Amino acid sequence: MNATTEITSGTQRDVTRRDIDAVERALIDQSARGPVLTFFTTAIFWLLVSVVLGYIASKNLHSPGFVLGPEWLYRLLRIDRVTTPFFAHLTYGRVWPAYTTALIYGWCSLAGMGVATWLIGRLTRVSIKAPAVLQFGALFWNAGVAVAVITILCGYNSGLEFFEMHRAARLCMFLGYLCIGIWGLILFRYRRQSAPYISVWYLAAAFFLFPWFFGTTDVLSSMALPGVMKNVVNAWYQNGLFNFWLGCIGLASAYYLIPKVINRPIYSYNLASIGFWSWIFFGGLTAMTRLSGGPVPAYLVTISVAASILMVIPVVTLGVNFVRTMKGHTGMMASSPTLRFTFVGTIFFLIAAGLSVLTALRSVDSYTHFTEWTHGQLHLVTMGFFSMVMFGAIYYITPRLVGCEWLSRTFIKLHFFGTAYGAGTIIGLFLFGGLATGFVLNEPTADKMGFYNVDGIANAYMPVKTYVGYVLFGVAQIIFALHFLLMRLRIGQPAGEPTLLETPGEGH
Amino acid sequence: MQKPSTLFTGIVGAFTLSVGTMVLIPHSQIASLQPQIQWDEGQVAPADVYPVERHLAGREVYVSEGCIYCHSQQVRDPQYGPDMERGWGPRRTVARDYIYEDVPLLGAMRIGPDLANFGWTAKVAQKDGSEKSVGMWRDEHEDDPKKPAARNEQWIYRHLYNPRTLFTDSKCPSYRYLFEQKEIGEKVSPNAVDHNAKFQIVPTIEAEKLAQYLLALDRSHELKEAPTVIKPKEAKK
Repeated sequence: MNATTEITSGTQRDVTRRDIDAVERALIDQSARGPVLTFFTTAIFWLLVSVVLGYIASKNLHSPGFVLGPEWLYRLLRIDRVTTPFFAHLTYGRVWPAYTTALIYGWCSLAGMGVATWLIGRLTRVSIKAPAVLQFGALFWNAGVAVAVITILCGYNSGLEFFEMHRAARLCMFLGYLCIGIWGLILFRYRRQSAPYISVWYLAAAFFLFPWFFGTTDVLSSMALPGVMKNVVNAWYQNGLFNFWLGCIGLASAYYLIPKVINRPIYSYNLASIGFWSWIFFGGLTAMTRLSGGPVPAYLVTISVAASILMVIPVVTLGVNFVRTMKGHTGMMASSPTLRFTFVGTIFFLIAAGLSVLTALRSVDSYTHFTEWTHGQLHLVTMGFFSMVMFGAIYYITPRLVGCEWLSRTFIKLHFFGTAYGAGTIIGLFLFGGLATGFVLNEPTADKMGFYNVDGIANAYMPVKTYVGYVLFGVAQIIFALHFLLMRLRIGQPAGEPTLLETPGEGH
Repeated sequence: MQKPSTLFTGIVGAFTLSVGTMVLIPHSQIASLQPQIQWDEGQVAPADVYPVERHLAGREVYVSEGCIYCHSQQVRDPQYGPDMERGWGPRRTVARDYIYEDVPLLGAMRIGPDLANFGWTAKVAQKDGSEKSVGMWRDEHEDDPKKPAARNEQWIYRHLYNPRTLFTDSKCPSYRYLFEQKEIGEKVSPNAVDHNAKFQIVPTIEAEKLAQYLLALDRSHELKEAPTVIKPKEAKK
C-alpha cells in the first residue's frame, strides 16, 4: 500500500520535474534564439565565401591566371576589360590568405561561437538576459572578418600566417569577441548546475584562452620584437588557435551531442578528465614543430616534439571515450543527422591529431615540412573535424530555435555525402601531394628537380582537388545554405518529430 | 567532477606554461642577439650584405603579393633536408640572420624555390663571368634553350611578367599588373619584357623595388654559429 503510493507520487513528481525542465529548456533556447541564429546565418555566408575563395586558390595552382566564370559571356557583355584584370589580381598569394581567413575566422569561429553560446546556456541552465550584446558582438566580428578578407584581397598582409588581418580588423574582431565572451563568463558565474559538465571545461578553456592568444599576438606583433621572435609568436598563436579555440569548441560540442543523441552517459568521466588536462597542458607546448629546422633555438623545437608525442595521451583517451560511448549505438548514425556528422567529425579529429603526432617526428617531418601535407592537416582540422561537428550541432540546435523541423532528409543526406566526400578528396589530395613532393624535395640529385610538378604529378592531382573536391564540397554547402534559409523562413516539417535520415525500423 | 576553481587555476596554469616556455624564454635569448662584428676589419658583418632600409619598399611588395605562401626564406641544416645541395645557400640560416627584419619572411611552404639567398645566387654567377647560376632550380636542364643567362634584374622581370616563358610548368602567377605599357622613346629600355614598333612593356616602380629587394637577399656571409658548408666553387658543378 505504502509502496504503491510512493511509486505513484514518485512518478508524478518525476513527470512534473520533467515538464518544468522542458519548459525551462525552451525558455533558455528562446533567450538564445536571436544571437545564435545570427551567428549561424553569418557563419554559413562565410562558409560559402570561403568555398569560392578555396576553389580559386586551388585552381590558381594548376592554371594560374584563369578567369572565373564564362569568359565568352564577359566578352559578349563587353565587360571583359574589367573582369580579366580583376581576376588577374586574384593571385594565389592573395587568395590563399583570404581563403584561410574566411574559413577560420568567418565560418569556423562564428559557427563555433553560435554553438558555444547555445551550449553554455543549456549547460549552465541560465537564460541570456541581454541578447542584444551578443548581436553586437556578432556584428563587430563579422565587420572585422569582412574588412580582413577585403583588405587581404586588395594586397594588405601582416606577414604573419593565419594572422594576416589588418590591425583595424583585429580590433573590430576583438571588441566583438569581448561582447560575446563576457556572456560566457556571466552565464558561468550564475550557473545553476554546480558541477560543470565536460563540455563546460572545454568551453571555459576556449573562451578564456582565445582572447589571450589573440590579444597577446596582436600586441607583440605590433611591438619591435627582435628578428625571428615574431615567427615564434606566430607559431605559438597558430597552435593556440587550432588546439584551444577550434579544438576545444569542437570537442565541447561532440561531448555534449553524442551522449545526448544516443541518450546514454559518456563512457568514463575519469578518462575525460585525463584527456582534458593533458590536452590543455601538452597542447600549449606543441607550437614549434611548425618551425622545425628553422632559424630558432633548437630546444624550442625539441620541447614541441616531446609535447607532440605526449599528445598521444589526450588523443587516445578521447578516442577511447568517444568510441566506447558509441559502442552498440553506431546504428543510430544511419538515422540521426546530428550523430552522423558529429561522430564522423570526431573520427576526423582522431586522424588529424594522430597525424600531427606522427608529423612531429623528425624523420617524418623532413618529408612533410614545406609541403602541402601541412595544408592537408589544416583542412583536416577545419573542414574535416570542426566543420563536421558544427554541422551536426546546427542540425540539432536550429529546430529547437525556430520551432519547426528540417524540411527534407534528402537535402541532409546530400549535404552529408557532399561534405564527407568533398572534404575527404581535398584532404586526401593535399596529404598525398605533400608526401609525393616531399620525397622529391629530399632528392637533390634527381635529374628533374622541379618539385611541384615532378613528372606531372601535381598537374594530375591538383585539378581533381579543384573540380571534384571543392566542387562537391561547395555544392553540398549550397544545399545546406538553402536548407538553413528555409528553416529561417520556418518552412519545414511540423515541430515535434525530428527529421531523421531514415525512419526507425525502415530499411536495413 | 572539476571544481570551477580547479578548472580556472588549471587553465591559467596551462596558458602561463605555454607562454613562458614558447614566448618569454626564447625572447630573452633572441633579444640579446647582436650583429656579429668582425674585429679584424672593424665592420659589422651583416650590415653591408643584408637588405636593410633601402630595400624595405620592395619587401612590402613581396609581403603584399603573398610570395611567402610559396617561397620560404630559410636554409635548413643538412640533417633536415638537402637545401644546400640544391644551391639555396652556402650555410644554414640562423636567428642572427634576421635581426634587422620586422617580420622575418621565413615561410612555411615551398611550392617555389627558397629565396633566402637569391641575391647571392645572382652575384656569384655574375662575378664568375659564367652563364650558369650556382643553384640549379626547378625544371632546369643544362641545355634548356629558354634558360636565362643569369639571375639578374632582367631575369626577374621576365619571370614576374610571365613565369611560364622561363619554366613551362611554373605555378607562379603572372604579375602583369606590375608592368605598364609605355611609348618607346629613343630606344627600347633594357628592362622591357616585350615591345613592338611603338610601345614597350616596362616594369612599374613596384616591380623595380621588388627586384631590388630580391637581389639584395644574401645570407651567405660567415657566421660563427653557422659555418659555411658549401663554398660557391664547390656548388658549381
